[in-house]
Amino acid sequence: MKITLEMSGGFAHLPALSRPLAIDTAQIEPQARAELEALVRQSRFFDQPLIGSAPAKGAADYRYYTITVVDGPRAYTIQLTDPIRDIYLEKLVSRLRGIAGKPPL
Amino acid sequence: MNHTNHHTHQVRSCYIIPPYILESIARTGTENQRACALRTLGLDGRIRSERGLRSGVGPRGLQSVGAPRKNRLIYTAANGTTLPGTLIRSEDQGASADLAAEEAYAGFGATFDLYWDVYGRNSIDDNGMDLIGTVHYGDHYDNAFWDGTQMVFGDGDGTIFNRFTIAIDVMGHELTHGVTAGTAALEYHDQPGALNESISDVFGSLVKQRSLGQTAAQADWLIGAGLLAPGINGVALRSMKAPGTAYDDPLIGNDPQPDHMSRYVNTPSDQGGVHINSGIPNRAFYLTAIAIGGNSWEVAGHIWYRTLLDSRLSVNARFQDFADLTADNANQIYGSSVRAAIVQAWQDIGIVIGEVNTSASEFLRGN
Repeated sequence: MKITLEMSGGFAHLPALSRPLAIDTAQIEPQARAELEALVRQSRFFDQPLIGSAPAKGAADYRYYTITVVDGPRAYTIQLTDPIRDIYLEKLVSRLRGIAGKPPL
Repeated sequence: MNHTNHHTHQVRSCYIIPPYILESIARTGTENQRACALRTLGLDGRIRSERGLRSGVGPRGLQSVGAPRKNRLIYTAANGTTLPGTLIRSEDQGASADLAAEEAYAGFGATFDLYWDVYGRNSIDDNGMDLIGTVHYGDHYDNAFWDGTQMVFGDGDGTIFNRFTIAIDVMGHELTHGVTAGTAALEYHDQPGALNESISDVFGSLVKQRSLGQTAAQADWLIGAGLLAPGINGVALRSMKAPGTAYDDPLIGNDPQPDHMSRYVNTPSDQGGVHINSGIPNRAFYLTAIAIGGNSWEVAGHIWYRTLLDSRLSVNARFQDFADLTADNANQIYGSSVRAAIVQAWQDIGIVIGEVNTSASEFLRGN
C-alpha cells in the first residue's frame, strides 16, 4: 500500500514542511505497516467523500490535508481541513507524519 | 466610577467638540485625551456613516454605545479533536492551573480591550459575542485556527513549535479573523485572503504593542515571537518590519514572505499564498505606523479599522483596492499629511495609490 500525505496552510504555514510525504508500507517495519493499513481500513478510506466538510463561513488558518492511498488496483484521494473529525483519519495523519520523522500534526 | 460610566461620561463631554479639533487631539493630546478623541471620532463616523449609508457609501458595522460585554470561555480538548471540549476557565472565575488556558484568557482579554477601549467595538461581532477558545487541541498540534465560531490552539510538537498560546499576538490574530468575517468578509484565497491574513497580523501586533505599552518605534513587529522551539534558528513566525527574515533554519527552511509587490508569490499552495503574500500589506502597515509615530493602534490602527468596516471594501478586494481606501479614509479622518504618509508607505512596497471609485460598478469588481 502506498500512502501520500500533503499538507498546506495554517497559521504556522511552513512551505518547507508542506512537501508531500510518501510512504510505501512494504518498505517500513511490520508494526508500522500494520498500524497504517489498519487505520486505512478503520477509517473506511475508500468510502470517504472526496472532499470532507468544507470550512465554516469565515474560518481561517485551518490546514488542508490531501491523502492518497493506492492499494493494488484501487487508488483514491481525499481532501480534509481542520478540524479532522474522523478519529481514524486524524490518527492516520499523525501516524504518517511520525513514521516520516515529522511531528504528528 | 466604573468603566462603563466613565466611557459614557467621556462621550457626553466630547460631543460638543468639532471634528477638526478632535483630530488634532487624536494626534497630539495626552494618552487619555487621544483615546477619548479617537472613540468620539469613531462615533462621529458612525453618525456620518448613517447619513452615508443613505447614499450607499460608508462604514459597515455600527459601533456600540452600550455596556461592553467581555465573556471569555476557555475549554480543553485534552489532546483530542472534539470542540469545544471541557470548560476549564470562565469569565471572572479564579485562575486555573492550566498555563495555556490562562494565556488564552489573558490574550482574549487584551484583544477585547483593544477593540473596545480604542475602537468602541463590543467583542468580535460588536454585540458582546462570547470569546471561546479551546487549548490542548490535537496531538502535538502545530497550529492555531479560527473555526468560524471559536479559536483553537495546539500545544506544538516541542521540536519546531512551542504551545500556540505563548504569544499574545496569536490570540489577537485569531480573534481578528472573527472581526473580519463579520465585517469585510474578505475571501480566504489569493489577494483578498492575504489581506485577511494581514489584517489579523496587524491587529494581533497592536494587541501585543498595547499590552507592552510600546510605541511603533519600540515594537519588534514580530508575529509569533517565542513560538519557535529552542534550536530553531529564527525569531518569530513572521516579521511585519522585514518580511522574509523571521527564520532561516535547516529543518523548517527560510521565511518565504515577500516585502514588495515585485516579489509577489504566485502559488496554488496555501490558498494562493495567503500566509505568504500577507507580508506585503504587513510591511505597508509597519511603514505607515513608523511614519506617523506614537502608538500604532491610535492613528494607523484606526485607519485600518475604519477601512475594514468600509462598505466600499469588497469581499474580493485586491491590495490596490485596500490601499486606495486606507488613503481615502486617512484623508477624511486626519487630513492630507497622514494621507501622504500612507501613500508613501504603499508606494514603498510597490503600490501606487489611485482614486477610490465610488460608482456602483465598484461593488461588482471582480478579481
